[in-house]
Amino acid sequence: MMITDNDNKTIEVGDGAAIPTKADAGLFTAWRISFLGAVGALAYLVIAKPDPYLNILKFVPDGIVVTFKVTIGAILLSLLLGLLTGLGRISGNRFFNGIASVYVEVIRGIPLLVQIFYIYYALGRVVHVPDMLSAIIAMAVCYGAYMGEVIRAGIQSIPKGQMEAALSLGMTRTQAMGHVILPQAIKVVLPPIGNEFIALLKDSSLVSILAVSDLLRRGREYASESFAYFETYTIIALVYLIITLILSKLIGLMEERINANR
Amino acid sequence: MPTGDQRRMIEARDVVKYFGRFKALDRVSFNVHDGEKVVILGPSGSGKSTLLRSLNQLETIDAGRIVVNGIDINDPATDITRVREEVGMVFQSFNLFPHKTVLENLTLAQVVVRKRSRQEAREKALELLRKVGIEEKADVYPGRLSGGQQQRVAIARSLAMDPKLMLFDEPTSALDPEMIGEVLDVMKGLAREGMTMVVVTHEMGFAREVADRVIFMDHGAIVEEGTPEHFFTSPTHERTKLFLSQIL
Repeated sequence: MMITDNDNKTIEVGDGAAIPTKADAGLFTAWRISFLGAVGALAYLVIAKPDPYLNILKFVPDGIVVTFKVTIGAILLSLLLGLLTGLGRISGNRFFNGIASVYVEVIRGIPLLVQIFYIYYALGRVVHVPDMLSAIIAMAVCYGAYMGEVIRAGIQSIPKGQMEAALSLGMTRTQAMGHVILPQAIKVVLPPIGNEFIALLKDSSLVSILAVSDLLRRGREYASESFAYFETYTIIALVYLIITLILSKLIGLMEERINANR
Repeated sequence: MPTGDQRRMIEARDVVKYFGRFKALDRVSFNVHDGEKVVILGPSGSGKSTLLRSLNQLETIDAGRIVVNGIDINDPATDITRVREEVGMVFQSFNLFPHKTVLENLTLAQVVVRKRSRQEAREKALELLRKVGIEEKADVYPGRLSGGQQQRVAIARSLAMDPKLMLFDEPTSALDPEMIGEVLDVMKGLAREGMTMVVVTHEMGFAREVADRVIFMDHGAIVEEGTPEHFFTSPTHERTKLFLSQIL
């Protein structure tokens, strides 16, 4: 559909038209404005008022490391869980299909914060696991369900003829899945998985309610001693923003590379 | 090759297949001998493709018996992959693997299923690409090929497994008219070499020229079968006559 306004400028309106395409990305893309703004603001605060701000910034790097450990641990575990769940959801085997489907339904119906508490205390009753591991497991169990749905959709987006061609060449279902379907599905699921990855990084701040000293908890520790709540959370927010912006850029570059290899 | 009493490559008895309440195949029986070329004709929805796809169990049948290359394919004890690796299949929509180069499309199953070495598979693949006339496209991805070229690659991919039987499911129906000839030429070459072939097609010229036998299907059943001369010049059934009058 074309909309023409009084100045004879035309706007193409269609699916996704509100999202700027790469071609019209000029010097001031949303990403650049956000990223440079965040870095600039951080630099300004630290230089202009080093008293609380520089001290806060020096206090939190340990927390950044913990946040990354939780995020990366959870992402790897949730990808594995997601792959199993996705395969289960398309499986003709009623048992696996049932387990995978119930898992997805249950997990999606419980808030992440509740799950984190629950898994932490439930695990604590049976075995003693370190807090960090408990946090990683809780995050992975939750995100595994979402990853499973992403992976299921990715597999189902591959035309049926691909599986048929592989089978007719004498491959088993497992071989066809491994050599033909999954390599193609990965390209499809990479963008949504990238989004899940960023969402997981942000949600990892919830584990600060356990005794895990991630970025947010380090901030809380500093704030409760110095009473500089506003200043601390300003820095914490900026650091999260910078990390997620870098991550989304990296994921974008990775997608481009994979698409270029076609 | 044995003369007289030839070995049966396909033996189908009273095959029945339902899609929900719809009866797609209604007690279909037919045989194909070693080296024979059979063309299956019929209006769309007549069950031709379903019959073809049930020969390598891409469709599972609800009743009856199908023996391919001496193996009862619906016996629960049968490892269906053992049957499929001897039966090549060419699809209407080519179904090449888009994430692999032409060469890799031809080598994948050789290595994974036939357990050939990469070198051996590669040589076999190049030989077959030469045969179908697209050797120079070996390192290209299928997306860059024309439809006719893709279908020739798909045929070569099946041949790389050294099949005893080739099934063609409307191999030229998705092609632009100017590309049909190049695919039919490859199929004719294959027929001359003595390959056993079952072809579902609307190409009457091909049926006339290549088929040893023509099978005409309608409403999930075989209505008439015979030599091309008989079929095209003096069909006996009304439905066959009607079909021919519409298509010729």
